[in-house]
Amino acid sequence: MLLQTEKLTKNFGGLTAISNLDFAVAEGEIRGLIGPNGSGKSTLFNLISGVYEPDRDGGRIEFDGKDITRKSPHYIAGLGVGRTFQLLRIFSEMTVLENLLVGHHPHVKYGSIAATLGLGGVWAEERRMKERMLEILDFVGLADFAGMPATELSFGQRRMVALARAVAMEPTLLMLDEPAAGLSPANVEELQEIIGLLRKRRGLTIIVVEHILKVVVETCDTVTVLDHGEKIGEGTPDEISNDHRVVEAYLGKEMEDEEVRKVFRS
Amino acid sequence: MSEALSGVTGRFRRLHGRFTLGPWLVGIAVLSPFPLLAGNLYQVHLVNVIFLNIMIATGLNIVKGFCGQVTVGHFGLYAIGAYSSALLSIHLGVSFWVALPMAIMVTGVAGAIVAMPSFRLEGAYLALATLGMGESVRIFISATEFLGATFGISNIPYPQIGDFLFDTPARIYYIIMPLSLVGIFLSMNILRSSLGRAFKAVRDDPISAATSGVDVRKYKLIAFVLSAFYAGCAGSLYAHLVTYIHPENFNILIMITFLVMVVLGGLGHIWGGVIGATLVTLIYEWTRPYPEYQMLMFGMTAVLVVIYMPKGIGGLLDRFFATRRFLAIRAVRTDASAD
Repeated sequence: MLLQTEKLTKNFGGLTAISNLDFAVAEGEIRGLIGPNGSGKSTLFNLISGVYEPDRDGGRIEFDGKDITRKSPHYIAGLGVGRTFQLLRIFSEMTVLENLLVGHHPHVKYGSIAATLGLGGVWAEERRMKERMLEILDFVGLADFAGMPATELSFGQRRMVALARAVAMEPTLLMLDEPAAGLSPANVEELQEIIGLLRKRRGLTIIVVEHILKVVVETCDTVTVLDHGEKIGEGTPDEISNDHRVVEAYLGKEMEDEEVRKVFRS
Repeated sequence: MSEALSGVTGRFRRLHGRFTLGPWLVGIAVLSPFPLLAGNLYQVHLVNVIFLNIMIATGLNIVKGFCGQVTVGHFGLYAIGAYSSALLSIHLGVSFWVALPMAIMVTGVAGAIVAMPSFRLEGAYLALATLGMGESVRIFISATEFLGATFGISNIPYPQIGDFLFDTPARIYYIIMPLSLVGIFLSMNILRSSLGRAFKAVRDDPISAATSGVDVRKYKLIAFVLSAFYAGCAGSLYAHLVTYIHPENFNILIMITFLVMVVLGGLGHIWGGVIGATLVTLIYEWTRPYPEYQMLMFGMTAVLVVIYMPKGIGGLLDRFFATRRFLAIRAVRTDASAD
């Protein structure tokens, strides 16, 4: 298993966001993570990426055989865990290319002193990095916007910048928090294609949190369903769409199988 | 078609900056004859002060402009640079050329201490904490006999090479001006490398920076220490330029002029900071006869700039050049389509 959590627990005051969660993702997998609002999906991402710390005795998180519980976010990122945010959090005062270069930070080969003095191969290395970033931008279709301030892009394009920034980190595990939210149907198709290609070409393991179930059903191998911070179902998209507990969590009542399937397909 | 394509690759080429020393050496050469051309020594002295302030503003821009940390304690670091250099050369008898780097190092350590509150505090709270640190430096100096207390320290030796004394503003100009340009050059290296991008990432979104692999604390610390190096260098040069320093050289009013320099110039804009430092120094000198209105004016300027010109002079410059470039690209494109 590439990523594994054991009895992971996180409380905010009296509210339990994640409780006793055992969650594991295998290498090369595309995992969907679904659940109603407030079910703990984003909290799980924040715990894995180190933005939040789990409770005292709140279990452990293991990535690539290393214990990453309570480690700092930049350390976890350095190990190869990339992520995007629901609210993008791109660097607004920087250009698109610079956003990606910050994402590439763990792979910068020169030190701070060399950079300040402009010594040795700093600028040659910068040039190499920029060329690689342009390749990634080309891959998500934003190469023409490389020199533009990130804020001047449309919302859909900024989502792609956020995705590209996470890819620029060259992670082993990529966590996407609602990558399709606010995208037009055509862009959603494009996104699904990109997610598939990321695994195929770059060998990434991907976890996708998404409310648009079409994306989850069509791109993911396995789907995990969270509700109130607990895992209430796990299986292939087909199995999940037939699982009554899952449907109840989403819709609040039992429905005929055929109707259920319709809901998940639409 | 091919022209349109070359337009695009041309734009990409612009993304790869090349930084050579050539223009800087030319800059030093162009600025060198100034003391010979200046009408009187006062003008040379004024230009020396401008270059010192450019150094301070460039350093302050690193921590405030690039890294986004609101520090108001810089005048304390300036004082530490000046006093450590003065004390080293008076009490230990070391030459200026040793005292300068040592003062820079001492100020760097002080900068690391000023950085500590920034690990937990933000915005106005950080400003208050750093202001307290800066003021406490001044008060500590005023109350310590060894540091000259309120009388200050006099007879600080001039820099010297062999028998040659840098004892006039015109002579010391040849130390201050090149060092100031070196400071600008280094800050451009910082801005355009991964170091500067890490600073800007910390400023724009610390959480996002951290999940991108940037150690937020480490880079805040580096920003504070780097900008302290600049303040220490300027402080040391100031001490050996005027040869007499006292605590009131390093009060909060000085800090306000530093702040107006970077705010008027445009936070995070290197050349804007240089222009801001020049303008503020000149205006400060010309309004010396009216001390009661000086601070009113600088305060008003800061407020008005923040409201009506948040990106300062640097922002105006950027917009001017961006427009020109846009017009140039459009001209190329229309030519290409006309063919």
